[in-house]
Amino acid sequence: MYQYDDIDRALVAERVAQFRDQTRRFLAGELSEDEFRPLRLRNGLYIQKHAPMLRVAIPYGMLNARQLRMLAHIARHYDRDYGHFTTRQNIQYNWPKLEQVPDILADLASVDMHAIQTSGNCIRNTTTDHLAGITPEELEDPRPYCEIIRQWSTVHPEFNYLPRKFKIAVTGAPLDRAASEVHDIGVHLVRDANGALGFEILVGGGLGRQPIIGECIRRFLPRDELLAYLEAILRVYNRHGRRDNIHKARIKVLVKALGHVEFARQVEAEFKASRAMAPRLNDAEINRVRRFFAPPAYESLAAADVVTGRSAAFQAWYRHNTHAHKVGGYRAVFLSLKAHGEAPGDASSAQLDAIAALAERHSFGLVRVTHNQNLVLADVRERDLEGLWGELTALNLATPNIGTLTDMICCPGLDFCSLANAGAIPVAKQIQAHFADFDYLYDLGPLEVKISGCMNACGHHHVGHIGILGVEKRGEEWYQITLGGSASGQVSLGEVIGPSVPQAAVASTIATILAVYVEQREAEQETFLQTVRRIGVEPFRERVYATDH
Amino acid sequence: MRLIIKRRELVSDPWRYPGESEGGGPAALPLAEFLEAVRRGSAPASGIGIWMVPTDEVEALAAQLHRVQLVIVHFPKDGEGRGFSQGRLLRERYRFTGELRAAGPIKRDYMYLLARCGFDAFDLHPGEDLQAAIGALATFSVAYQPGDETLVQPRHRPRLYGAESSNL
Repeated sequence: MYQYDDIDRALVAERVAQFRDQTRRFLAGELSEDEFRPLRLRNGLYIQKHAPMLRVAIPYGMLNARQLRMLAHIARHYDRDYGHFTTRQNIQYNWPKLEQVPDILADLASVDMHAIQTSGNCIRNTTTDHLAGITPEELEDPRPYCEIIRQWSTVHPEFNYLPRKFKIAVTGAPLDRAASEVHDIGVHLVRDANGALGFEILVGGGLGRQPIIGECIRRFLPRDELLAYLEAILRVYNRHGRRDNIHKARIKVLVKALGHVEFARQVEAEFKASRAMAPRLNDAEINRVRRFFAPPAYESLAAADVVTGRSAAFQAWYRHNTHAHKVGGYRAVFLSLKAHGEAPGDASSAQLDAIAALAERHSFGLVRVTHNQNLVLADVRERDLEGLWGELTALNLATPNIGTLTDMICCPGLDFCSLANAGAIPVAKQIQAHFADFDYLYDLGPLEVKISGCMNACGHHHVGHIGILGVEKRGEEWYQITLGGSASGQVSLGEVIGPSVPQAAVASTIATILAVYVEQREAEQETFLQTVRRIGVEPFRERVYATDH
Repeated sequence: MRLIIKRRELVSDPWRYPGESEGGGPAALPLAEFLEAVRRGSAPASGIGIWMVPTDEVEALAAQLHRVQLVIVHFPKDGEGRGFSQGRLLRERYRFTGELRAAGPIKRDYMYLLARCGFDAFDLHPGEDLQAAIGALATFSVAYQPGDETLVQPRHRPRLYGAESSNL
C-alpha cells in the first residue's frame, strides 16, 4: 500500500488548515452560503436532509488497519456509530456536525486520510478493481497508476473548477470489475505488439440522466504519457464542456455533441500542443510508486483441500464469498455488507474495529472496499478460512450472498439524500426479506441488482442485471425496472420493462421476473443476464403486466 | 481607482474595465474589439490591456501578445473554471510575460490555484480582506503538479516529471 511521505502529509495538513479557516469564516458570516458551498464540496461536505454528510476518500479502495480504526473512531465519536461505503470505494458519514468537520479532517490526516475532492465539480476519487494485484488473469497491478493519478489530480491548479464532477477508473485485468466503461475516463492497462505496457483510454461514459458507454479514443498510450494525455482530455473538457446547464455539463455530453472521433482529434491536437508544459512521468517515479504495491511476504504454502467434509454453511460461504488468488494457498475473502435486514454498504464502528484486527491477523493489515459496497481481505491463507468464517459470522459479515440477488448496490435514497425522489434502502430490505431462501438465491446464479433513489443513478441502476430506479408520482414512491444492464464484460445499459410499480410491489415484481427466467433459461448454466440477452425483455414485460388487464 | 493585489502588493489600478465610465487611465479592450482593431490596422503596437471573458479563445490572442501589457481574465462567478486554462495557456504555451490579472467576484480561496496557473494580479470580490488574501498565497507549501512559480514556489518531488536524466 502507498505510504505518505512528508510532501503528502504537508499537503493534507495544509488542506485541513484551509478548510478550518473556511468553516470559521462561514460560521462567522464572512462567507455566504453560496460562497461556502463550492469550498465545502471540494472537501466532501454536503448539506443533506437531516444533517451535513461527509464523504471521506479511500483512494482506489485501499485501507490499512490503522485507518480502519480511525474510521470507526469517527463513526463513534462524531457520528451515529456507523459509516456507509459507496460505489466510489469511499465512506460517508450521515450525521456529523459542521463545526466538528475540521476536527474530523484533522483526525483523518493523522492516519494519512482526507476528504479532498470527494464531491464538487472536480476530479473525484480514482477507483479500480478490488482484486488488483491478486487476481490471476491480471496484466499488471493498476494501483500504482491510480496513485499517480490521485496525486496528479489532487489540488490540481487548473482542473478544480470543471463544468461538472469527473470520475476516472483504472483496470489491469481483462474482466472489468470497476465499471470503467461508465466513467468519464476509463484507463485500461494493455500491451502493444512489442509487449510494451501502456494504456487504452476510454472517454465519455457515465450514468445519471443520460447513461452512455465510453468510447475508446486511444488504443495505446505509452506509459510515460499518461498524465500528459489526461491533461489534454481535461483541458479540452474544461474549456469546451457546457456550463449553461448542469444536466448537460458532463464530458459525455461534449463527446456526444462533437462525436468521439472529433473529440479524439481535439484531444490529440491539445496533447501535441501541450508537450512542453505537460507533466511527463519518468520510470523513476513509476517505479517508486510501484514498489509500494509490491506483493507482501507470502508464505509458500502447499495446496490443501480446505472444503471437503466441512459444514454446508462453510462450503456455501467459501463458494460465494471467497475468490481465487494468484498465489497458491491463499484466497481473497469478501466481507458481505449486505446482511439481510441491514442497509447495504453500512458498517458499524464495532465491525470496523473488528475487521481491522482480522486484517492484521489474516491479510497483512490491509482491507479493500469494492465498488459493490462490500469489503475484501485480499490475502488470506486458505487454512485460516474456516476460523475466519466463524469470526465473520459472529460479526454478521459472512452472509453468503456475494454475487447473488441480495448483494445489491443501493444508494442512500430518500432516507438521507436531498436529491432523492424515492427510498432505496427500504426497497433493498424488502427484497432481502422476500428472497431469504439461500438455496433459491444460489439456484438463480449470478445476479446484480442495483437500486437508485433518483435519476442521478448513484446506485448504478442502468448497469444492473436488474435495475431499480425510484421515481416520485403524485407524492408517492414508485419504481421503474430495467433488465439486461451490465458494467463488466460486454457492457450494456438496461432496458425499461414498462410503467413503474408502487413500492410495495417491487419484490413481488422481481419474483415474477425471476420466475420467467427460471422457466426460460436453456440450461442450469445460462445466467439471468444471458437469458435476458437471448430472449429480450418482452417475455418479462408480458408476465409482469399481465395482471393489469 | 480600484485597489488590486499585484504580485504581493496592494496597488491602485489605473485601468478602466469595459463598461466603466470615462476618465482616468487607459481602457482595457474586450478581446473581440482588439482583434477587430488589429484587422483594421488601428491597434497600437504596444501597451494594450485585454479583457477576456470565459468564452474567449486564447489562441486568437496568441499572435498579438507582443502588443499586450495586461490581460484581465474575468471570472464572472464562483465555479467558473475556464479562466484557469486561459491563464495557464497564456503563460506556459504562449509565454506571455505581462501582467495577468484575475478579476471578478472571487474570494481569496482561489488565489493559490490562480497563482499556480500564472496569475500575478488579483482584483477580488469587493468585500474581500486583501491582506488576508495575500496571506492565502501561502495556503500550500507543496504541490504534485508543475505550475507557475512566480508568486508561489511549492516543494515537489524532484524526480516526478521530465526525463530521468534531466536535472529537474
